[in-house]
Amino acid sequence: MTAEKFKQIKSELEQEYRSVAGFTLLFDHEGYLWEPKDWNEKVAVALARECGIADLSENHWKVVNFMREYYFTYGRAPLNSQLKKGTGLSIAEINALFPGGIKKDGRRIAGLPNPRACL
Amino acid sequence: MSIKRVKLMINGQAHEVVADENLTLLDLLRDEFRLTGAKQSCDKTGQCGACTVIMNGRAVKSCLYKVAKLDGASVITVEGLGTPENPHLIQEAFVLSGAIQCGYCTPGFIMATKALLDKNNNPSTEEIKKALSGNLCRCTGYVKIIAAVKLAARFIRGEITPDEVRPDPDGPKVGVSHPRPTALAKACGTARFTADYVVPGALEVAVVHSPHAHARIVNIDFSEAEKMPGVIGFLTYKDIKGTNRLVMNTDDRPVLCEDRVRVIGDPVVAVVAECRHQAREAAQKVKVEYELLPVLNTTEEALAEGAIQIHDDRPNLYYTQPQIKGDAGKAFAEAAAVAEGHFKTQINHQSPLEPEASLAYLIEEDGEEKLVVVGRSINIHKHLSVLQDALGFENIRYEEAFSGGQFGMKVEITSEAIAGAAALKFKRPVRYIPSLQESMFISPKRHPYDMKAKLCADKDGYITGYEIDLTVDDGAYHSNGDVIIGRSLRMLSGAYNIPNVQAMSRLVYTNNPWGSSARGAGPPQTNFTLECLVNMLAEKMGIDPLEFRLKNTLQPSLGHSKSTGVVPREWPFPVVCEAIKPHYERAVEEAKKYKDGNIVRGVGIAAASFGVGSAGDKSIVSVELNDDEGVTIYAAVADPGEGNDSMLTQLAAEGLGIPMEKVHLVTRNTDETTATGPAAGSRMTYMCGGALVNAIEQIKQAMKECGAKTFKELKAAGKPTRYNGTKQAEFAGPLDKETGQGPGYESEVHCVQMIELEVNKETGEVKVLKATTAVDSGPVINRLNYEGQLEGGADMGVGYALREEYIAGYTKDWVTFKYPRMKDSFEMVSIITETPRYNGTNGSTGVGEMTMLPTAPAVISAIYDAVGVWVTDLPATPEKIKAALAKR
Repeated sequence: MTAEKFKQIKSELEQEYRSVAGFTLLFDHEGYLWEPKDWNEKVAVALARECGIADLSENHWKVVNFMREYYFTYGRAPLNSQLKKGTGLSIAEINALFPGGIKKDGRRIAGLPNPRACL
Repeated sequence: MSIKRVKLMINGQAHEVVADENLTLLDLLRDEFRLTGAKQSCDKTGQCGACTVIMNGRAVKSCLYKVAKLDGASVITVEGLGTPENPHLIQEAFVLSGAIQCGYCTPGFIMATKALLDKNNNPSTEEIKKALSGNLCRCTGYVKIIAAVKLAARFIRGEITPDEVRPDPDGPKVGVSHPRPTALAKACGTARFTADYVVPGALEVAVVHSPHAHARIVNIDFSEAEKMPGVIGFLTYKDIKGTNRLVMNTDDRPVLCEDRVRVIGDPVVAVVAECRHQAREAAQKVKVEYELLPVLNTTEEALAEGAIQIHDDRPNLYYTQPQIKGDAGKAFAEAAAVAEGHFKTQINHQSPLEPEASLAYLIEEDGEEKLVVVGRSINIHKHLSVLQDALGFENIRYEEAFSGGQFGMKVEITSEAIAGAAALKFKRPVRYIPSLQESMFISPKRHPYDMKAKLCADKDGYITGYEIDLTVDDGAYHSNGDVIIGRSLRMLSGAYNIPNVQAMSRLVYTNNPWGSSARGAGPPQTNFTLECLVNMLAEKMGIDPLEFRLKNTLQPSLGHSKSTGVVPREWPFPVVCEAIKPHYERAVEEAKKYKDGNIVRGVGIAAASFGVGSAGDKSIVSVELNDDEGVTIYAAVADPGEGNDSMLTQLAAEGLGIPMEKVHLVTRNTDETTATGPAAGSRMTYMCGGALVNAIEQIKQAMKECGAKTFKELKAAGKPTRYNGTKQAEFAGPLDKETGQGPGYESEVHCVQMIELEVNKETGEVKVLKATTAVDSGPVINRLNYEGQLEGGADMGVGYALREEYIAGYTKDWVTFKYPRMKDSFEMVSIITETPRYNGTNGSTGVGEMTMLPTAPAVISAIYDAVGVWVTDLPATPEKIKAALAKR
């Protein structure tokens, strides 16, 4: 067990404030934004870079905006089938936009929170 | 197999049945006649009474009767008694008495009551206890069930009618004990629990569990098992396409074990067969070869130098968090009196009656395969997310069935992942109904705490310092252990102003059962220590323990802060101290008469200030207007028995001025609801109720803006028909990693509880006589539901204090668990004050978990008051009490 590994595991357990795009924001243990209303486009661009996406394309924004619209309408994240319907893109196309995965990277960039666990 | 042909009457209809003579009446009723009112909990051992029906005029446990003995029998099930549209008087009495919480035990109790009242329509309490002694209930503490039987008897004697008891539905909606919307369905056996779903052709699962606490899996041999009749196939971790990890906070718990087992009962292989019996038979033929590893039974062993790591990639000491406020060292150096002790709490099972049942099946939706998972979750959106990752399948719908109790433990996925993985592999519906012992194996437990602590006061009787060193046995998997510690620390100073606090907490992996949320989740353990110490210190100071509490109450107006450093906005703790005072004085006086002889009486009090609305919490509730001038509420507000259906319905009807029957709830599936967080942390009324009230305010504002008097007029004015209400905690963020200072809960429910009991000095046996609870959580929405939480919590607290303990490998059923029975039930008095809270939902907070905090320390303090010994290692069994008396 290296000190780095232990530190990394320990941080998995905690909420933390981080500075992103000049904003101090609270994230959960998996790196999702705690409060979706803290999100803005600058934050999205910065989070995308953390995910290894240098630039957000038009299709990226289509997905991100749909995710947020859906979340604020229905109070939950969309399933992929709803994303497909809502954006007109195929799942393969959406997957290609987010190499780390739609759920891991797409939702993170869109500023959607994880469903709350035990509090 | 020997086939038998029998003729019998079921609910007045004649049937001829040809079946295996060993088939039980319970299975015949449930599986063949689809009469699922009779429930199964105890693996057909006659321990629980949930399957009670009336046969030939007698209440019998249908799990104990085989087809061979049924010829000529006349059987009445709960379905034969009444329907929700035309209920029997006994069913009405249970609904109107608040005797129904989760509802899993209810049909059995109702049938046992029917048999009793058919013979004796005016039974005494003792006669009721005797007649219903074979039926178990975990939710209610039995008090309201006894009241229901008496009310039913009055109905039957014609002294009063249900209409005279039922609150006026057109009267006030809030602050009135309107029947729960789901209560009649539970009373009539039509509420669908997971095992009640009708899915013809569903495959069944049995799981091979580890008999070892720590071992490497060397080989699995399926050769004999695969030849067994009905076997469809097997599932190991290799068949699971996702991460195979069930992640609450960290990724250490597998759906099915890979190369290693870490606790007795770890799931290794799932066997899938045409029926449950075949699956279980085949599971016994699966041969798993293990290489045994050292077993770490205690935190001391796990922390010892050179101890084997239970998880290769992380240390056994997994998490630590200090809490430092002021200068405790100085406070102790200058103290006039110090109380100290070593306190231990046990591993405990929450013991809901329903097994950890799940069902999973694939459907076609919009041209795509969708996995539907039905289970007992209290956090369906989180569990949807967990299942997506674990199973590697995204298109999932989680559906919450009616749930037979859970008390926190269903914040965790258990059987759902195995059922889901099997449905994905075999492309057929799969049901996994674990046995009682399996349910105990796979479900999380209450964390055991080991605490060394001391509390000091100055010469004027003011508490000045508190030091506590606590080690938490996390068991084999982490789950949310850090959250549990965080909750303990955020409520560490309880009701009091303690200016100097020094705490250290550590969380340790062992090979014991893993811990997770359990009613109160952390604070019941630490509050046990604090409240015992408060009583010890009061005695040392020569101050009455109630006066001592009042003297040391936290007072925000004086700038007092909690152990987190936060100064709360309000603190109506003195209100409950004053409320209980006359009862306490009466009890102390009465106990004086019973201080001589072998059986002596003791009185103990303990307090609790329990936080609600945690840092960063948020809830979203959607309300949609309907054409019939009613509304539909869309939110994943789970209701495993607390009465959240009442809360939503009554608040919406009151807020919008509509009849309660116009409020429709959609709360049980992930496709239609908002992700509003778990039904845990006593947060439903405070957070989800608050979000609902916010949505209602938006609707009213919209109506005001356009002058609409009806929803139709609002729609005609072009206004939206759906409104999302939110409630958000004022503060967010973690505790400081070095000092444990930071945001906590934004409101509290306060309580003082008094326990009166008798101790037999010869046998060490304790008989609890009465619990008196003074509580204030703000205005009460539904008093019967509220009292039900207090009474059930007190009963659970007494079990925790005196009897219950989960011992892996030994505890396997309700007898070895020492389940609370009706004969052990005691008198309960609730004194309810209603101080509105600033941020409360119409002033209300929540009460469900607080009830677990005061009882154990009050019981232990009462034992001390009776016989002069402190038994601070729970449970205080007769053996421990006798040993302590012998040492004195």
